[in-house]
Amino acid sequence: MKTRKNSQELIKKQPILSITNLHKRYNIGKSNEVHALRGVDLTVNKGDMMAIMGPSGCGKTTLLNMIGHLDRRSSGNIIIDKVDTSTLPDSQMTAFRRDNIGFIFQLFNLFPFLSAVENVETPLLLKGVNSGLAREQAKMLLRELGMGDRLYHQPNELSGGQQQRVAVGRALINQPAIILGDEPTGDLDSTTSSDVMILFRRINRTNNQTLVLVTHNRWIAEQCDYIVHMRDGKISHLEPGPFKRMEKKQ
Amino acid sequence: MGTKTSFLIAWRSISRRKTKNLSVILAVALGVTLLVGIQITTDTLENAFLTSLLQGEGEVDVRILNSTSGGYLSTTEIGPIGDLIPDAVGIMSEVSSQIPALVESQFDPNMNIAGVSTNYSDVFGTFYDWKTGNQLDLDSLFVDNSSILLSSDQAEKLGLNMDTILPFNLTTEFTNLTTTVIPPPLIPLSNWTVNSELTNSPHVLVSNPLGLHLELQPTNFASMVTAYTIAAPNLRLSNYAYVNVTSSGTSNALISLSFFMDDGSSFDVANWTIPSILNAVSFDLTPYSDRILRGDVYVSVMSSNGTQASLDMLDIAFETPTIGGSSRLPVVLLTPELARVELNVKGFFDSNRPGIGSQYSGAVFKLEHLQSWLSLKDPFHETDIVSAYLIAFKTDHFTEEISEEFLKTKVELLEEIIPEKTDDFTGETNKIYQVSAPRLNFFGVAGFFITLLSTILSALGLLITLTGLLLITNVQLMSVEDREFQTGVLRAVGENRRGIFQSIIIENLFQGIIGGILGLFGGLAFGQGVAIYLVSLFGTGELSVQPVISQEAVILSVIVGIALSIITGILPALRASRVNIVDALRGIKVKFEAKSSRNLVTLGGLIIFLGLIMLLVNGVFEESSQVFWSADGWDTLAEWRNLMIGFGMLAGGTGLFLSRFINRIKAFNIAAIVLWAIPSFLFLVAMGNWITDTGSLSIDILFIGVGEIILGSILFVALNLPIVMRGLRKVLIKIRGLKGVAEISPAMISSHITRSTLTFAIFAIILTLNVLVATLIPTSLGNITELEEDSKGVDFVVFLNKPETILNGTSFSEELYNLDSQITDVIGLKTFKPNQDFTKFIALENPLSSEFDGTTDLLPIGTGEFTSIQIRGNASDYSDDNWRYAFYLDGFPDGIRESFASDLSDSELLVLSKRSWDQFFNSTYRMAAYNVSSDFLSIISGESDISDLQLGPGSEGDSFGPGSGGDSLEGVEPLRNVDGDIIENPIVFTDSFLLPIGFQVWIPMNISSMGLPNYQAFTIGGSFDSQRAGGFPLGSSLNLGGGETDFSAVLGSLYLSEYWANQTNFLGEANNQSLSSRAKDQYDSYLIKTSLSIDDLQFEQITQSIKEFVNTNDEGYRFLADDNFYVASTAITYARVEQTLQLTDRITSFLQIYVTFGLAIGAVGMGVISVRNVAERKREIGMMRAIGFPRAAVILSVLLELVVLGVIGLVIGVIDGLIISAGFASMQNVALVIPWDQIGVYLSFIVLIAIGAGSIPAYVASKIPPAEALRYVG
Repeated sequence: MKTRKNSQELIKKQPILSITNLHKRYNIGKSNEVHALRGVDLTVNKGDMMAIMGPSGCGKTTLLNMIGHLDRRSSGNIIIDKVDTSTLPDSQMTAFRRDNIGFIFQLFNLFPFLSAVENVETPLLLKGVNSGLAREQAKMLLRELGMGDRLYHQPNELSGGQQQRVAVGRALINQPAIILGDEPTGDLDSTTSSDVMILFRRINRTNNQTLVLVTHNRWIAEQCDYIVHMRDGKISHLEPGPFKRMEKKQ
Repeated sequence: MGTKTSFLIAWRSISRRKTKNLSVILAVALGVTLLVGIQITTDTLENAFLTSLLQGEGEVDVRILNSTSGGYLSTTEIGPIGDLIPDAVGIMSEVSSQIPALVESQFDPNMNIAGVSTNYSDVFGTFYDWKTGNQLDLDSLFVDNSSILLSSDQAEKLGLNMDTILPFNLTTEFTNLTTTVIPPPLIPLSNWTVNSELTNSPHVLVSNPLGLHLELQPTNFASMVTAYTIAAPNLRLSNYAYVNVTSSGTSNALISLSFFMDDGSSFDVANWTIPSILNAVSFDLTPYSDRILRGDVYVSVMSSNGTQASLDMLDIAFETPTIGGSSRLPVVLLTPELARVELNVKGFFDSNRPGIGSQYSGAVFKLEHLQSWLSLKDPFHETDIVSAYLIAFKTDHFTEEISEEFLKTKVELLEEIIPEKTDDFTGETNKIYQVSAPRLNFFGVAGFFITLLSTILSALGLLITLTGLLLITNVQLMSVEDREFQTGVLRAVGENRRGIFQSIIIENLFQGIIGGILGLFGGLAFGQGVAIYLVSLFGTGELSVQPVISQEAVILSVIVGIALSIITGILPALRASRVNIVDALRGIKVKFEAKSSRNLVTLGGLIIFLGLIMLLVNGVFEESSQVFWSADGWDTLAEWRNLMIGFGMLAGGTGLFLSRFINRIKAFNIAAIVLWAIPSFLFLVAMGNWITDTGSLSIDILFIGVGEIILGSILFVALNLPIVMRGLRKVLIKIRGLKGVAEISPAMISSHITRSTLTFAIFAIILTLNVLVATLIPTSLGNITELEEDSKGVDFVVFLNKPETILNGTSFSEELYNLDSQITDVIGLKTFKPNQDFTKFIALENPLSSEFDGTTDLLPIGTGEFTSIQIRGNASDYSDDNWRYAFYLDGFPDGIRESFASDLSDSELLVLSKRSWDQFFNSTYRMAAYNVSSDFLSIISGESDISDLQLGPGSEGDSFGPGSGGDSLEGVEPLRNVDGDIIENPIVFTDSFLLPIGFQVWIPMNISSMGLPNYQAFTIGGSFDSQRAGGFPLGSSLNLGGGETDFSAVLGSLYLSEYWANQTNFLGEANNQSLSSRAKDQYDSYLIKTSLSIDDLQFEQITQSIKEFVNTNDEGYRFLADDNFYVASTAITYARVEQTLQLTDRITSFLQIYVTFGLAIGAVGMGVISVRNVAERKREIGMMRAIGFPRAAVILSVLLELVVLGVIGLVIGVIDGLIISAGFASMQNVALVIPWDQIGVYLSFIVLIAIGAGSIPAYVASKIPPAEALRYVG
């Protein structure tokens, strides 16, 4: 009951993402049909930093892919920044994704053949920004992210943490409505992980940037405002993170 | 883990990665298709070519001829010849010749005829009826000596078909020789009278036709008696050499015998000599050769001792020399008369059907009938004549050809046992028979041409196969790269390096076997297709093209398939086995180290050393070459070969060596530039400028040059690909909507340099070839612009089959002027082709010398006449500008040749040519004969085999005609006679490729009383420039693509000046000695100038009207001459260019096969690459989509990569191709024409291929859901 009250309280804030009754089935009609999401309802407010936790195969990544419009939903609604994307054609969906969503992956997924700054500037170029301007912005951002001395390195010349910073840069450069992270620290050691989490927190606080992270690391999850627990394709419960709890206590 | 595991892994990999394997198999199959296809093409063509040659021989293996050229055998010799060849299964006699044939208005001046015994051996097969295919019954058809059968080939030639109603008449001519015996001119011995003024003693004179008896009864020592006659004939003394008196008498008689001449002077045959001396001495008439006998002859007798003296003269003869000295023989006048005969064609036999019919391409007579016809031209009308005995060692040659080895042994054995006969006259012994085995020659000829053809095919094939190899390597490399992650996992779970290597090689083995088998089928289709296409291009279409699949080809294909996939797989497999486990698992691609290992440095040092040695060959090790640091060291092709190899190795080695110490890319860049620059320099600068002698351009130099250019440019672009791609990015990123693709695509391309390089290399090679081919045509078109200048205004030529008829008030030239008013000048020429008349063959050895061999030293080469008025017109000498038809020579007589150089301008060349013509027309000019020989001649005369002929460099001397620069006879010794004096002869000019400048030949002039020719020695003083119009229209070119090629026409002709031509009875009047000689203006070839421009289309109509004028029965010229045996043919100057163009066109379309195949390989390569790229980059594509790349951008980036690689290949290909073409152009001294439109076509073609090959993978890529793509691990 307590959690429900909290979530209702959140809705009154500015909801940036709201999901209602989301379903996702893979391989429909085939013997290996999987019902990955079975009616997910979730609302995320602007400036929230949310973690999604749950056992393997519970649908965390699927949910994240749905939010990021990397895959088509089977049914249900997703409204991001007041836009209902369920009816959009692929081209507009792509543009929507480009402008509103930033991705950070466990394996960083940087283009191996592009340098750090090139990786970061790509989304700007896709928007048609002048290449010189895009380069300047990307450099500025990377410097902010502490990568000023690694601008022209290729991903395989960077450490894991450095690569993830570049990935963060790429996700941030478009000032997206939401940044989605799929196990963003899964491939990093604990020190680097905490560095990255501090970075996320900083972005969240200074830019009022909404972040949704999938993780099964309790420690990572606890850096977030809210922790959503998933089981069998459904959200089992939502708990506020330690910071939120402390905020509440105060 | 052992081999078994490797097998297991390989097997799983093969069975589970079907599409990926498919690309490797496809690549291998393509490569094998090429190799096997070329093999099959060559085999098939050789077979087709050989079959078509051999078919004409029917079942005949060997022909036995008389060993004296032109002589006949007799029918009785069948016995002894049969005894020589006891194992022959068949032997038949044959008489053969050539006659003209006229049916309606259709005329064939040279129809082959043969006489065949009606009861010839069955072994030789059967004559089949052309229409019904039934066996022809010879006995019932050959009813009389005018009955003949016509071959289907000949019928078609005469415009007949199988439905022509039989029998019909065919008009021909046979030579009828009438013999008139004129007794030797004698001084009549009857009716002599005593001259009383010179007689002072008693005497007796008996004078009657049997002899002159004069007896003196001396009264003192001054007693004498003189008798005379005034009835002596008015003999022209130049015609006689000696006076021979047959006399006897008492030994005390002193005799004087005097003849008076037209100028009143006299000569004494005897001046008080005794009868026996008078009898013995032949009096030389040479000093009086310009005089004529007056008619009075005096004979006086005195007594040396005062007693009675007497003289009996039996005859006084004026004699001419004959071979072997003078003898008193009657003069035999042979008068050949052409008798027109109507023959009756009783049937057609099929000359293409296996059987005896294929032996005969003309008409067939009954043996006895033809013998009687041909006996007419024999002075004794001898009918017992056989041209040859035909021997068969086996039957059914059409089903199974006789073995070359077997036949060779047979012929050698036979030649050995032929009996010899001693010539009574010379005392030499000669074989009495000559063995001719055309089959053996055909084997040789076919082998020779096929070797040539297969060299060209293989050379091209090699280039294309190279692209196939690149494709396979590329695919192999990709499949390894693609699996780096799995390899890492395998290594992590304990597989060792050897295992990885093994499993990949085993996989390759499987792929190779499957690809090899597929390639065999592909090669079969390809080879068959190419062979048929080639036959349709160059052949007459009659060749039977049966695919010949030799066992070797089958084995080869599989072996090659396996070898290809394994060899190309070794490098990738090694690479896979060296994969760093950790990197592989982390997805880090293998990267080359920036600097090289010590091993490579050692290798580099070694290559540098070898390169230095190659360079030192020039001038240091090989004396004939010049040192390369002086300009002279760069002016022959052989030196360039060393330079290219030397500098190539030096550069490559230096690159390897430096790569340890400086940045690898910089190091190899140097190597690439050197590799590219050296041959480029050869093609752009040296060829035609420094290198003047390009005649020895050989395939290996070309290969090295082209190879280095291509390799260097590809390497250079590959090394600098990132720079190029950065440039591309800079351009694309400016374009709105392409910014994202601009960021990704160029980086993707430069991230896979090896793969990208292998792809554009394929296109670079093919397009180099393509551009080369494309430039070939317009560049040879450049030749045409010179044609008008070179032809000296001659627009077309008319040939008559025989000399024109002397007409009253008109002439053929006159008629031509009347025929078309645009004809401004007709230059009539006399030419003569000896055909089968060996008495008019050119002799290559003095016919009077003991070394002369009639079987090898006579050549059926044509002769012709040039008069000063034809060439010089009214010009007096070379300084005069107003020449009528001054054409170029490329070989010059002594005194002019020395100032020839290859870089002469046209006008300088023309002056040299005109000076040579001046010498030619100067009847007192003599040129030394030189000790030169001709490779071609020794082949034709049978002294050496065609396989001994060396092509390209290495053949010493003159095998390909005069050299293209300088004095071709420099350092060659002139010939000397027994006294040590230099032999000097009048000169003749030639258009024959056989006869080198300075060569001594003997040309038959007038025919002596014995019916044998008198030979005059000449030196070849000039040759016509066949590259220029000089060779045209007289020079006969090898007419590829069908039509009749007359052997003597191929050999060319010798040309005499008017002075000498007049002394031959077949070109000139020969001092009125022969009835068959020509009148002064009796021409047979006419060079025509018109007021039209050289490429005017009206020439077709004009020549057509000339042909109609001559070739219609009882009309036009046939009416004027009252002779239907005239046929005119024409040749238009411009058409010659068109022929060249057609030939170039054919060669181009032939090359196009390979080029097309190459492009197909390129397309497959692109397809494979894009499929693999898409598969491998799934995750990257997922990322692109995730961060907002639209679908179109994904498609674009896939296609862009291919288009960019294709265009890079195109650019390299175009540049390299143009460089090489420029070399060829300056070599031929023509302007390079760049076919921009063609290059445009290639560009669009490449883009099309790229889009075609990439569209499906690109579409698939764009459809991948990003979420799924991101999960992809390979």
